[in-house]
Amino acid sequence: MAHSKALAAEELWNPSTELPPRVARLRDEYVNIDERDYFRNEIMPFTTGTPWDTVWSPALWGVVPDLIPFYKAFVETLPLAATRVDLPEGFWDGPQVVRVATFFHEVVSKYLPVQILDGELIVGAQFNTALSRAQNKTEAKEWRKRTAKWMKGIEELNSHGMGNAGATPGHLIPDYPRALKMGLRGMVEYFQDLKSEASSEEHIQFLDALIICCEGARELAARYAHEARRLAVEYEEAGRKAELVEIARICEKVPWEPPETFHEALQSLWFVHMLVMTQESYPGPGVSPGRIDQYLFPYYEKDILEGRLDRGQAKELLECFWIKPNYAYDYIYRVGRTRGITSGYGQLITVGGHGPDGEDVSNDLTWLMLDVIEEMNLLEPKPNVRLHGKTPDDLLKRVAEMIANAQGAPFLLNFDENSEAALRWQGLPEGDLWDYAPVGCLENTLQGNDRSGTVDVNINLAKAVELTLFDGKDQATGDRLGPRTGDVRKFKSWEQFCAAFETQLMAMLERFMEFYNYTDALRGGFEPTPYLSALVDGCAESGKDVTNAGPEHNYVTVEGVAFATAADSLAAIKKLVYQDGTVSMSELVEAVGENYEGHEKLRQTLLNKAPKYGNDDDDADAVARYLSRLWTEEVFKHKTPSGRRYRAGYLSWNYWIAYAPTTAATPDGRRRGTYLSNGLCPVDGADRHGPTAVALSVGKLGLESVPNGDSHTISFNPSMLSGTERVDKLAAYLRAYGEKGGTALQINVVDPETLKCAQENPSDYANLLVRVTGYNAYFVMLGKEIQDEIIARESHKL
Amino acid sequence: MRSSPESRTSSNVSDSAGADNGGRTGRIFNIQRFSIEDGPGIRTTVFMKGCPLSCVWCHNPEGIAGRKQLMWFDVRCIGARDCLKACPVGALELSSDGMKIDREACDGCGLCQAACPAGAIEVVGRDITAQAAFEEVARDEAFYRNSGGGLTVSGGEPTMQPAFVAELMRLCRDAGIPTALDTCGYCAGDALERLLPLSDMVLVDLKVMDEARHLELTGVDLATVLASARTIAAAGKPVWVRTPVIGGRTDSEENIAAIAEFIRSEMQPVVRWDLLAFNNTCGSKYARLDMPWELEGTGLIEKQHMEALAAVAGSAGCEVHWAGVTARESDGD
Repeated sequence: MAHSKALAAEELWNPSTELPPRVARLRDEYVNIDERDYFRNEIMPFTTGTPWDTVWSPALWGVVPDLIPFYKAFVETLPLAATRVDLPEGFWDGPQVVRVATFFHEVVSKYLPVQILDGELIVGAQFNTALSRAQNKTEAKEWRKRTAKWMKGIEELNSHGMGNAGATPGHLIPDYPRALKMGLRGMVEYFQDLKSEASSEEHIQFLDALIICCEGARELAARYAHEARRLAVEYEEAGRKAELVEIARICEKVPWEPPETFHEALQSLWFVHMLVMTQESYPGPGVSPGRIDQYLFPYYEKDILEGRLDRGQAKELLECFWIKPNYAYDYIYRVGRTRGITSGYGQLITVGGHGPDGEDVSNDLTWLMLDVIEEMNLLEPKPNVRLHGKTPDDLLKRVAEMIANAQGAPFLLNFDENSEAALRWQGLPEGDLWDYAPVGCLENTLQGNDRSGTVDVNINLAKAVELTLFDGKDQATGDRLGPRTGDVRKFKSWEQFCAAFETQLMAMLERFMEFYNYTDALRGGFEPTPYLSALVDGCAESGKDVTNAGPEHNYVTVEGVAFATAADSLAAIKKLVYQDGTVSMSELVEAVGENYEGHEKLRQTLLNKAPKYGNDDDDADAVARYLSRLWTEEVFKHKTPSGRRYRAGYLSWNYWIAYAPTTAATPDGRRRGTYLSNGLCPVDGADRHGPTAVALSVGKLGLESVPNGDSHTISFNPSMLSGTERVDKLAAYLRAYGEKGGTALQINVVDPETLKCAQENPSDYANLLVRVTGYNAYFVMLGKEIQDEIIARESHKL
Repeated sequence: MRSSPESRTSSNVSDSAGADNGGRTGRIFNIQRFSIEDGPGIRTTVFMKGCPLSCVWCHNPEGIAGRKQLMWFDVRCIGARDCLKACPVGALELSSDGMKIDREACDGCGLCQAACPAGAIEVVGRDITAQAAFEEVARDEAFYRNSGGGLTVSGGEPTMQPAFVAELMRLCRDAGIPTALDTCGYCAGDALERLLPLSDMVLVDLKVMDEARHLELTGVDLATVLASARTIAAAGKPVWVRTPVIGGRTDSEENIAAIAEFIRSEMQPVVRWDLLAFNNTCGSKYARLDMPWELEGTGLIEKQHMEALAAVAGSAGCEVHWAGVTARESDGD
């Protein structure tokens, strides 16, 4: 393949120069956070003022182990910086869920700053909070005791590179279509009806909490209406004055009443959505609006048909809406922008896909949204495109063209048939599967009624290999982490080795599930989120909070990390130790223990003479499948005491880097410290037969036992995808991937020269987007270690 | 420096004649999946070893000789010396200057490759049955079906191993996989006649239209190539013509105009003509094969020149594409 020269900054995927002036200004305003001293959506803590109050919860951040060193500081100092909220009479008399609801109501109706930015058409600015959990003294004491124990647990798991777990907020799709259709007023009436049928006091109080939250949302909208009217008086310019009057009218109506126009629907959706982040005190991650090209379409179509709106106006409204979710990133303005944390706030929207009859349901709004995505060049909302056998050719080509022209594809692709096969295996109702959508990065769930706890448990599969080699001990510290499974050097057969490996892996799974059960109870018992519960089907009916298995569908997802590293390690042992006998186990254990220092010949043998997953090599892929089915089927046999079933996924966020130093050398030839494999991707550099072979390898894993879905990233050099003919070939590749590959795919189209250039000249390459591990990120905002990793990943592609 | 075209040609042919043992096995040097340059759609290209031509610009020099050849990769070598011990004929010598390979003594047995832990020594050339090659090609069936792609047999020169190629193509067609023959045009008539009915399309090179220059640059006579081109055209299959554009060799407007005229007047079914700009990245392969790289230092073609040639090519009356790295883009490489 030809040498290429770095793309110049102006050749990158950049925001369109044709954006309407208002939109261009709003986008610039968002991006230039340093200059925005009049408005930053930074974390705002609010407290009840009790000495025992807590506004921040470590267990909710367990899957961000980078924060472990700050846990205590956040817990202790955030309340000190918090605004004290005047509590209404009788506040402490009610149960915690009512207190939390009341606190939320008070904050949003009186304290949360209300600000309308110049020129914006969709309003709702401040939403990042740290809200009091409104615990009384007894509850707080118990919560602290349990949290302290929890922190010990996470520290132990994380520091040994075994993985992590947390009761992660977000990561679900609320039933926004219902909130739009009924209006919050209609939902409150529904909750009132349920109250009259409820049999327990507890259930009635829970419904009261939901109602209080909905009323809080109404109050906040009224404050925005008031602000808009105030500004309308101030503004001289007639155009903006009229807009502000219209904004005021809309905010007086929605989200309390059902929207009737496209503008009203977008405004209602934004209010309802942003308050989920406010209530959970969690900035964005995974609170996903789902299939918005479907449920917003009727409002759009009606406006167009009735002449209220033209396509250009609709687009401008969408663009105003598009900027809003990005403000979640203001949350971490002060704590820095490293390690890729800054880019993972996946508020996913999903476009395309099929309907209940299997026919494609893409519409004009789908196409309009693709234009908006292309022209805005923003991180959020993160778009996913659902592809299936009947996706129209023109839509597929449009998608392929956007991928080819943007260095890190603007979206993640979800393949319906493969995704639905896994959700079917999971046992979700057949009639509902067509309406699935991903949350977070790529994690498949149903919409509106499903909390699947995606990314709640992350387990390093390669660690199980290490524990097998060292009889259950951590190689670096000698700490016992797993059961004694015997001296591996004395094993006589591959089967015997597998038995030991399975024992270690099962023990790890058991330990993680036990830890998560504890975590789940900690959140479920002490941190209700009644506003979110109002928006998720099943909670009101069951009287149980969304944190407490209230939704119609409840799962916990265990994400497998370092899959290919583990699979290749097993394949190397099987082939070289037990089949060929060219490597002795004693030598291997010694070499791994010495990190291959002085064992380069053996290391090269492991790298070059063993089969590797990702090459459509049936031997390697069979071992990979064995590993995948082994653990994914096992977790599915277990449930939390609250009734949430465990299920599997493949997403490694940044753990494939984070656990590289704490994972010993591996029998695939990897040294300690070299990054682990990412998602379902082959080990870097191990796949040498191109994109068709890797797709087929993925497809052989039997991924129906992985209902969450899998993160698979492939890279193309831009020169391979230039020209319409090659874009057509990419489109064809995607069709075949849907037949043969996995559930989700993201594509980088970038060359190492451009990345190196960007690393050296970050200000020129501010718009360069790349795909990381299930999400896209501005390359220059990533930590250097991830940048280097991405450069290495691209460099081995020819 | 170079041997005469005649001797090169005969030696190339005789080198690989032994491989075509009635089609039981063929000698290949690569099976390239996700091949997007060798015909429509996504394809798998099987590269046959051995070519009657010895074009000075050849970017696959490992495909010229029919015999198996060693390639040594200095960057991968860890100095384990297992290859030296494994070689039954003592053909290898490793010193601080690198690996010296006695190419007369080496018969490509592959024991060195098997012994090397680092993958630093490779035998170029593998004998494979048509069935085994087919099974590898068939793996990407879904990609061919969705893209209009399929099998391309290239080289080297496929018509030098007609029995194997015919069997591979037949197996593919029986499985519904479209086939393409990519030939240099210097073929024995009967081999071509045998393969054309099994090919859904043909790619053929037309390089130089001056007879003397053709002989000088490719080592073979032009008349045979043109005769093949006419035979291919007469078969009525879709044909893609390809022309390597090499500075000072094939890149004159006269040459392109002459090819255009031939296509227009004698190759009616040509649907597409690709002008492929000279690629200078194959120099290291020559070094690894101990072959001289005569185009060392030859510049890349300028973009404007490619565009001008493409305009000239327009008179052929078929779709014209040009591709490759051009001088402007690779400045500073």
